[in-house]
Amino acid sequence: MTVTSAPRRGGGYLERPAPSGLKDVIEVILDKGIVIDAYVRVSLVGIELLTIDARIVIASVDTYLRFAEATNRLDLYEKGGKDLTEVVGDMQHGGARQKTSGALEGVKNALTGGGDDDGDEEQESRPRRPAKKTASRRRTRSTES
Amino acid sequence: MTGTDVMDREPDQLELRAGDGCYVYGVVPADAGTVGVSGVDDARVHVLRHGPTAALVSVVRIERPPGRRHDLLAHSRVLDAFAAAGPVVPVRFGSIMVDEESVREDLLEPRQDRFAELLAELSGALQFNLQARYDEAAVLTEVVTGDPQIAALRERTRHLSEEESYADRVRLGELVSQQLSARRTADEQAILDALEPYLLEYRVRPGSAIDHLADIAVLVEASRREAFETAAEALAAEMHQRARLRLVGPMAPYDFVGED
Repeated sequence: MTVTSAPRRGGGYLERPAPSGLKDVIEVILDKGIVIDAYVRVSLVGIELLTIDARIVIASVDTYLRFAEATNRLDLYEKGGKDLTEVVGDMQHGGARQKTSGALEGVKNALTGGGDDDGDEEQESRPRRPAKKTASRRRTRSTES
Repeated sequence: MTGTDVMDREPDQLELRAGDGCYVYGVVPADAGTVGVSGVDDARVHVLRHGPTAALVSVVRIERPPGRRHDLLAHSRVLDAFAAAGPVVPVRFGSIMVDEESVREDLLEPRQDRFAELLAELSGALQFNLQARYDEAAVLTEVVTGDPQIAALRERTRHLSEEESYADRVRLGELVSQQLSARRTADEQAILDALEPYLLEYRVRPGSAIDHLADIAVLVEASRREAFETAAEALAAEMHQRARLRLVGPMAPYDFVGED
């Protein structure tokens, strides 16, 4: 399975990925759809945890530190003296793959990682952070069965 | 059972053994035909008819640990395949009922009218998901150059360790977060303004990543699909200096079944 990010129509800017990519599938279907009443449904433990965890959105000091870190990583004028438009242009050519991520990303990692690899290309380069700041990742990881 | 005659009607008898359950994918009109797609654990997907509606189900072992990756993919594969052929109301991922009688009596029977109504509404409608992501460096550059206080804090903290500049970093991050959120609101509105003429309905989904601009689930009438896609393409071209737009779909109408 490949996440196709090349435009389908020539020269277009709109990406049309194949909808079968796991990352897209998780974003699309988790927490969605008609809910069957609990008393007529067979309950499966792992799935409840998974959906609850995906709802967690971190808004905390930890988030702010990530934002600060990302801002500080920016290379504006300091090196090489490029002006703003040049910098922006450079970034478009693949310089900006670093992503910081919230809990949902954590869930996705838990789901996409481990065992059979399907070539998910969205490998993240996480900013290095002190060990004590990894609580949110641990929590999502603990839902792996 | 209604008396409707369906060409490829199969015997909708499930072979359930002890420890088996019915995995439920969604609800379709009773006259929906079978689509050649395999379900969870590669099981055959049955169209279990009851009155005006039918449930899409397959046999699943209840005890087995949920193998989530494949289950998620199978769930969406089944729903998207049926959605391509006609209206479908998705049921939440991971829903298992004890047997087919329970599916008919506990799921379909009590909500017959509601399902029929939803299916009629969704007939001829397609869901797409539009994801807009900022070019992180571009938007952060806008934020830093557009706010002297942020620029100053950045200068002060960037060559210090997190421990040495903790308070300033938290303040910097907070200001950046506020600025991003203001930009997001404006940019998201611009996207909606451009696309709304082509939409039957839309739902905005939350997001928190730095590069998050907007996640919007949209419902488009099949006959207007091309016009919508052209508008989305034009929008992507217009925004490409600052953001990437991805359009996923068409898919089953996961976000438009009237719950939540």
